[in-house]
Amino acid sequence: MSQDMNDDPFAKLSQTPAPDPRADAKKRALAAGMAAFEASQTKSVTAPKGNAWGQRLISIIASLKGNRIMDLRYPIGTLAIALLVLPLGYQLYSSTTLTPPAPVRQASPAPQPAEPAQAITTEAAPPELAPMPTTIAPQDDAVADDAPQVEPPLGTIEPQANAPAADARDTAAPVPLSPAPIEPAMPQSSVMAESAPMAQSLSQDSMMRMPSPGIIAPSSEPVMAPPPAESGDQFASFDEQRLKIAAEEPVSTFSIDVDTASYAYVRRMLEDGYVPEPDAVRIEEMVNYFPYDYLAADSAAVPFKPTIGVFPTPWNPKTQLLQIGIKGYVPPAGEDQPANLVFLIDTSGSMDEPDKLPLLKRAFALLVDQLSANDTVSIVAYAGSAGVVLKPTVATDKAAILDALDNLMAGGSTAGAEGIELAYRLAEQAKVGNGGTNRVILATDGDFNVGIDDPEKLEDFIKAKRQSGISLSVLGFGQGNLGDATMQALAQNGNGNASYISSVREAQKVLVTEIGGTLDMIAKDVKIQVEFNPAVVSEYRLIGYETRALNREDFNNDAVDAGDVGAGTTVTALYEITPVGSSATMVDPLRYGTSSTTPAASGDEIAFLRMRYKLPDSDVSQLIEQPITPSVVHGNIGDVSDDMRFAAAVAAFGQKLRGSDYGGDISWQAIEALARSGKGADDTGYRAEFIQLVQSAAMLAGPSAAPAD
Amino acid sequence: MQALGLTAASPIDQASVLTRALVVRAQNGDSLAFGELIENHYDLIHRTAWKWCGNRTDAEDIAQDVCVKLGAAIAGFDGRSAFSSWVYRITLNAVRDLQRAGQRRGRHADAYAEVTPDMHPAEQEAAATSTQLWAAVRRLPEKQRDAVLLVYAEELSHAEAAEIMGIKEATVSFHVHEARKTLRGLL
Repeated sequence: MSQDMNDDPFAKLSQTPAPDPRADAKKRALAAGMAAFEASQTKSVTAPKGNAWGQRLISIIASLKGNRIMDLRYPIGTLAIALLVLPLGYQLYSSTTLTPPAPVRQASPAPQPAEPAQAITTEAAPPELAPMPTTIAPQDDAVADDAPQVEPPLGTIEPQANAPAADARDTAAPVPLSPAPIEPAMPQSSVMAESAPMAQSLSQDSMMRMPSPGIIAPSSEPVMAPPPAESGDQFASFDEQRLKIAAEEPVSTFSIDVDTASYAYVRRMLEDGYVPEPDAVRIEEMVNYFPYDYLAADSAAVPFKPTIGVFPTPWNPKTQLLQIGIKGYVPPAGEDQPANLVFLIDTSGSMDEPDKLPLLKRAFALLVDQLSANDTVSIVAYAGSAGVVLKPTVATDKAAILDALDNLMAGGSTAGAEGIELAYRLAEQAKVGNGGTNRVILATDGDFNVGIDDPEKLEDFIKAKRQSGISLSVLGFGQGNLGDATMQALAQNGNGNASYISSVREAQKVLVTEIGGTLDMIAKDVKIQVEFNPAVVSEYRLIGYETRALNREDFNNDAVDAGDVGAGTTVTALYEITPVGSSATMVDPLRYGTSSTTPAASGDEIAFLRMRYKLPDSDVSQLIEQPITPSVVHGNIGDVSDDMRFAAAVAAFGQKLRGSDYGGDISWQAIEALARSGKGADDTGYRAEFIQLVQSAAMLAGPSAAPAD
Repeated sequence: MQALGLTAASPIDQASVLTRALVVRAQNGDSLAFGELIENHYDLIHRTAWKWCGNRTDAEDIAQDVCVKLGAAIAGFDGRSAFSSWVYRITLNAVRDLQRAGQRRGRHADAYAEVTPDMHPAEQEAAATSTQLWAAVRRLPEKQRDAVLLVYAEELSHAEAAEIMGIKEATVSFHVHEARKTLRGLL
């Protein structure tokens, strides 16, 4: 006991007696105790000690005799499988092209363009002939040998922000590059003229693996409201298209993109009150979401005719926008091509949400309504309830098709073995020839557990099937699990389109209004090449199409895959071009003369447009060529068509939403006003909806998004 | 002091031989023996629970809980420690379980507890300072509280407390010391 009992405060504790227990409580407790005692006694009677003892001593070896697998104390099999599968899975996940790289935050130090300049400003490099420190990009694949690229104005970049990191890496791995002369007066101007644009050097296949985006801490764009911390949806990150100098790189080549998934996703996020992640915003998909009234093509043989306009850039008065629009040929009504559709439907447990499987059922019901007697429909389910749900059925037998759809249940997570092979087998079985459409339509919320688990093999499989005439479209549903990058990759490999279905309205747009564009392909592998005249255009920048860039030599190579155009589909491409002599020129002329080849003076042509396409059943590409002359130049944005103004507004919106280095200064109000001016008749209401979207974005991003410099 | 100590400890001491016999009989399935056993110990259990919790409802809940546990577990009692120590240990565990569950139930439960009429009236706790002391001790970390209450409120030796708490005797002294340090500002 304690020695200092007398002055120990705790001594008082013993002086307080506890109150006596209440009799009834005691009685209850005793009764309960007795009951428990009795219960334990009867238990021990039924399980006598000896036997029970024996049963508890189950050893692993005894259990191997067969009937006690569930009793294993150590799940050795599971452990072994886990040890095998986890590293393997991780390897697959991190090294294949299908899965996107880990989402890259904008904040991560961008390895390439900004750094050399920052190094200059922060290290106060000696004014003349300082060896330019450059860094080996951490990922060090395609980027490592990229020379620093053309820069946006660096005036507002905070040198302190990234400086220590940049310094650290510089000292860690300095690679002396060719000494670049630096004019002491202008330490911040980017003199590194050798630009090897990365986007161009990336092949279609490697584009999903792009290293962390070289997004410079946006010079003028304040930080937007953050996207939802964990949306769960996955997007491949990509670099914004860079400014290019017409004299050095006069040719820009890209594949057209008819997907619209990005806009639908962005709209949904904004409607839910979130600013979407920058990588979810693909400007070309947003622009192409809207139908435009471009010139119609004359015949199926030359399935489109470009509509071209040049007008002042809304976000930069010193540059101009070059807009190229094409509209796919619409076959006259009555020419009903047979279609053979196989719905490959994800029925995993995660599809059991109102905006997934139930919406999907309604969407497909809408689609089935569009089909006629020479169309067939089959349904295959994978994951959950796997297998053939409906054998190829004439589309007029709507009762059978809708019944089969209705009976689909989401649940379980069983791998739907060979789901995709089954779908293609059914497509083969009901294949229609000559001019008809054979297509597998994959509907999922991001679970691509279709039977082939190696993403590259899956792409190859789809590619091989495409060559046999069966294409693949992907419809994305829901939110939280969406594998956007995988959707894109599969649809691109399958010559189909990827759409994101967020509502019945959207389903109606994709599967009813634009069913022709979705199913009736009129041209495939459509590539666009624009050659700029350096005498007129000093710099240019393609807006969007980052994931669609092609190499210059790919243009004439018919083996290189590109986007497909459906009947009536409109595709729009926008270039921001800087006329020669404009004060908006971002790259200073070379001190020691211009590049050796002076362009063959071709008058005052601005650029030359080439388009290549293949007719649906041909493997040889056709060429459309057209010069872009001053005759399409409009001095005032008010003079151009509503479509052009609206497309410019959508592009501006996309750039602002992405926190683009270019054109981020335009205010939400200006975008809205521009969109209003280009609203036109708007029969479908999409444009009115876009205007509302701009308003919500303005609200979500906050007033801080006003110009900062 | 001495007198108080005797009244607290004597029922167990006197009963120790009887208790041992009852335990053996109960382990052999004699329900009458078990009934007698828990009847003899109910007061101890209830008193302990009350001291640890400070209100009747919890004390009664815990006491009943402990009776049930004893009924289920008596067959497994190995006799290595005194039966009363074993009962203490089960009671303290029950207290801890209840209080942790209470924490999980969260603030609402606390709010109700504040207005519960079950609070033992202050006059029974000798004086206002005593109330404060009890409240402070009950708020101590579990180990310190158990050590202080076993040693001072239950007037057990450090060795007995150590047996109940399943720790070394020196550790009990350490916890008591720590508790004193913790409470120095308050007392």
